[in-house]
Amino acid sequence: MNVLKVPARTIAVFVLPCLILYIGLVFVPILVAVYDSLLDWDSINKAKFIGLDNFKTMLFHDTNFWPSVRHTLGYAVFSMLEIPVCLFVAALMNRYVRKANTLVSIYFVPVILSVVIIGQLWKTIYNPADMGGMLNGILNSLGLESWTRSWLTEPKIAMYCLYFVSLWQYFGYHLLIQYTGVQNIPTEVYEAAKIDGAEGFKADWYITYPMVIPIFKISIVLAFIGSLQAFDLVWVMTGGGPAHATDTISTHMYTQSFLSLKYGYGSALATSLVFICLVFTVFINFVFKKVEAKYT
Amino acid sequence: MASFKKGLVYLLLSILVITQIYPLFWLVMYSLKTNEEILGSNFFSLPSSPQWANYKAAYKGGHYLQYLGNSVLVTTVTLLCVIVLSAMVAYAISRFKWKLGGVVTLVFLLGMMIPMQATLLPLMVMFKHMHILNTRWSLILPYITFSTPIAVFILSGFMRGIPAEIEESAFMDGASVYRIFRSIILPISVPPIMTVCILTFITIWNEYIMAATFISKESLKTLPFGVYTFVSQYNVNYGAIGAFLILGALPVLLVYFVLSERITKGMVAGAVKG
Repeated sequence: MNVLKVPARTIAVFVLPCLILYIGLVFVPILVAVYDSLLDWDSINKAKFIGLDNFKTMLFHDTNFWPSVRHTLGYAVFSMLEIPVCLFVAALMNRYVRKANTLVSIYFVPVILSVVIIGQLWKTIYNPADMGGMLNGILNSLGLESWTRSWLTEPKIAMYCLYFVSLWQYFGYHLLIQYTGVQNIPTEVYEAAKIDGAEGFKADWYITYPMVIPIFKISIVLAFIGSLQAFDLVWVMTGGGPAHATDTISTHMYTQSFLSLKYGYGSALATSLVFICLVFTVFINFVFKKVEAKYT
Repeated sequence: MASFKKGLVYLLLSILVITQIYPLFWLVMYSLKTNEEILGSNFFSLPSSPQWANYKAAYKGGHYLQYLGNSVLVTTVTLLCVIVLSAMVAYAISRFKWKLGGVVTLVFLLGMMIPMQATLLPLMVMFKHMHILNTRWSLILPYITFSTPIAVFILSGFMRGIPAEIEESAFMDGASVYRIFRSIILPISVPPIMTVCILTFITIWNEYIMAATFISKESLKTLPFGVYTFVSQYNVNYGAIGAFLILGALPVLLVYFVLSERITKGMVAGAVKG
């Protein structure tokens, strides 16, 4: 443990360079954003202090704010629903496949690619058939012409198309995390269970799933926090359109700040985003503490 | 019965291989087709004769090598700084006796929960005043700060486990703290440093939104931003777009091909410790 007694100067040398940079580029900007959120400030006029008016506008008058919150939470829900599936597949893989590492690294390929590339790839896949879109091409060749559509420009389904791409990209990531968790369960536990008559799915239910709860939690938290910040994929694929149908909190903030140049209002949205992230992180950790206390 | 079940599982796993890999394979085929073949909507067909001209067009039309060079430069500098800075902090947190250690740890922990996008606007204004907007520093600096928290956690977690006797005996022999850090701690910490490198590399290499916000000079764009620029400019030459996407994915795929086990292990370690 902490053993070395060193002069304050030495500590400063070790800690300050990083800490100053860190506070300057993470905490100061956040505080600036909080302050800016109290201003009526655009690119042309001088900034004017207006108190909480931006937040009032956001909550009660901005018709795009609540939908963007809904899309963000939808993102979170779908990403979390993926995790049990990953765990299920991981448990199967652990039982039936001897050397699953190659398989896992194949599933992992989409994870390492840039969202820009993934987004463009899927944009092409969702294209109308006469523009070479794969999905519509498949539907046509299956005789399901009535199902073909222009996936990303129909407000009702565009958001689900984006959710799907995210689930597709991060499937390998969560599968790998769950698989690592499942692998770390000692084989003796299963042997003991076998003697007691628990095998296969029964063993999964009573041993595998309860024992991976800590790892399960990690995946859930990652998926949840990642979704709250969902930005790149939406930005690359639809830019929040058509008509704000796929806006998340982040893209809405970006549009307001950098395209509409409403700096004050954009900062109010940024402040809310930070607030939401902090609250939900604390909340989800609290929930899992309860769950873990119950099962371990 | 058992073999039937096994068959079902293999079927499921094979379907998953197809869903995860076929889109990428399809993109490779797409990038080798003529516009007519692509628009002919026969999505399943292989290109009649591979159109390497698409790659030529992509290579010539987009500043591929320039984007690649920028990405390599920015990522390398970021990696070096992240390793040095976070290793120093991690060492101080895990081994020194001082009152504020806990507070510093908490500061970094808190930073992990802050969404990067919320800092974009203030950072842009700050960088403008510092006259570093539209320079490589406007990418490297925030990349460093947003990679440090996880790095500090991984490294301090590891350093806590290093037996104190090693340092004590070095101390007896008259080595200074700096010397111990450089010649003992850093070399021992190579495995977690590799993990940090992998995590940081994947994040920074693929980062798009800061690059798109802070950079507008063509000559400074990184690869993801470059890909985006190319795609929005060449929106009728489908084959070339496909080719540029493949070229954009190629570097990271090559790295992954060589280091796949390291990368997957590193990213899990990063997730579990974060």
